[in-house]
Amino acid sequence: MLKPYVCVACEKIILAKDNVASLINLFSKIIVAVPTNSPDIPRNAVAPKEWAIFSSWDTELGDELKDYEFCTQIFYPDGTPFGEPGKVRIPIDPGKRAQVTVQIPAFPIGQTGLYTVKTWIEEGQTKVFGPIGFGIELAVVQQDRAQ
Amino acid sequence: MPYTCPVCGYKDLPSPPRDYEICPSCGTEFEYHDARRGHAELRERWVQNGAIWHSRVVNRPVGWNPWLQLLRAGLGFSVPRLFVDMRLQSGPMILLNKVDGARDLENLVELSC
Repeated sequence: MLKPYVCVACEKIILAKDNVASLINLFSKIIVAVPTNSPDIPRNAVAPKEWAIFSSWDTELGDELKDYEFCTQIFYPDGTPFGEPGKVRIPIDPGKRAQVTVQIPAFPIGQTGLYTVKTWIEEGQTKVFGPIGFGIELAVVQQDRAQ
Repeated sequence: MPYTCPVCGYKDLPSPPRDYEICPSCGTEFEYHDARRGHAELRERWVQNGAIWHSRVVNRPVGWNPWLQLLRAGLGFSVPRLFVDMRLQSGPMILLNKVDGARDLENLVELSC
C-alpha cells in the first residue's frame, strides 16, 4: 500500500533525466494585488498562472502491479469545489519511491481565505487512501497602479 | 470517446462537433451556429455574455469553471484579463487537520514532510 511521503504546491517542477524532481518556489500563501478602487474580483475569476501539486509516495512490494490513481480536488474557502477532480495514474517502479505531478493552469482568486487542496488515492475507482491535503491562503491587497 | 468543443473547450461532447450536436457548455449548435460565424467569434460572444453554462438538460459538472476549461483547452487567450499582480509566498505548510475550516474532511492524515 502506498504511504504518503510529501504533498506540496509549487510554481514549477523540473524533472531530471533520472526522474529526480526539483521543486521551484514552494508556496502556501498567495497575495493578489489589485489596483486601488478597482471593482470586486468576480467570484469565478482565475489568475492564469500555472502551478503544480507534487506528491511522492513510499511503496511496498506488489504496489507496482496495482493501478493506483492520484486524485486531487481544490476547494474554495467556502467549501465549494474549484474545477473537477483530477485523476492521474501513479507510475510505480518496484522498490522505488513513486512520484506524481498535477499541473494546474490557473489559480482561483474569487474568494479570499484558505483554499484547500485535497488528495486521495483510488484503485479501480475505489478510494484506498486519504483524503490528505494542505491549505493555501489567498489574500487580496489594494495598491496604486504606480507601485 | 468524448470530443472537445472547439468553441469553449468542453471536453465531454458525446459526439463529434457536427451534425447539429449542441454543446451543453456554450450552446453552440454545430453546422448551424458555426455555418456563418467562426468558432473564435462564437467564443468571444459566449465570453462577453459571461461564459454561462448553457444546458438545462445536461447538469453543469461539479466545480465547473469556464475560464479553467478554456485554459485547459489551450484557449486561454480568450480568458478576460484582470489587472492583478500575484505573489507566491512560502511559509509553514498548512496541514488540513490543523485548520478549523477543514474539520468536515474525514479521515485526515498528517503528512510527514
